[in-house]
Amino acid sequence: MSVLETVLIYGVVPLVIVLLFAAVTLFPGRSKDRTKYRPGQSWDYAPLWYEPHPDVPGVVGGHAEDAPGAGHAAPRLGATASVLAIGQRPYVPEADTVRRTAAGGARGTW
Amino acid sequence: MTQQLNRQPAADQHGPSATDQTGNSSVMEPGSGPFSYRDLARLDEALTMSAKETGLRFTLYVGELGSDTRATAEDLHARSGGDTTNSVLVAISPGQRVLEIVTGTAAARRLPDRACALAVLSMTSRLGAGDLVGAIINGLRQLSDAAGHPARRNAH
Repeated sequence: MSVLETVLIYGVVPLVIVLLFAAVTLFPGRSKDRTKYRPGQSWDYAPLWYEPHPDVPGVVGGHAEDAPGAGHAAPRLGATASVLAIGQRPYVPEADTVRRTAAGGARGTW
Repeated sequence: MTQQLNRQPAADQHGPSATDQTGNSSVMEPGSGPFSYRDLARLDEALTMSAKETGLRFTLYVGELGSDTRATAEDLHARSGGDTTNSVLVAISPGQRVLEIVTGTAAARRLPDRACALAVLSMTSRLGAGDLVGAIINGLRQLSDAAGHPARRNAH
């Protein structure tokens, strides 16, 4: 085995493998795709509030539910609604006071 | 894309199903927010699929919850729009390290506090490891598994 072959096999090949792993692990493009959060870190983003996609059929409160769909009978007027239809006004609470709607749940810290 | 509800919606941010309380403009600029495109897509799928499977309206809030986190979360639940009795709010404050789940009256019958506590437990263990999106997705999956399918009243 010549000196050149020895250097190629025992020097260049391990170096290439090491550089390959270094490129894969240190490449900066992949880390951008992840949400960055560490416990204890401050959270400086604006509050976000997400709801389910309203256009998907089957989702409660979605658009597909609002539309008078084929095969579903239109909701009948109940007793209250028929009274209201005669001329009374429904009770509308004050705009500022929000009624408490929570009935249960859980909380946790980490 | 997941719809975003704003606490104080601007006039031009009103989305297709916006009410007075909710603006739900679509998230078009994930660079400014904490979540990447891929994470937003995962959150979108998790929220939409759990809402579709259970018939409950899951909403997700990520942000500050003030000094009284429970009261803020319940206030958010009351203003989440739609049918609040049937809605479930998952509120996470990463800065305060607090997680709150609030259920409405009808939702609480299908999601008892014990099931919520179990979901909270698995979520906090993931959140403690820094996996914010994974915690949300697994928590939503656990909640929707616990709630099950809605009772089919008019099956035909």
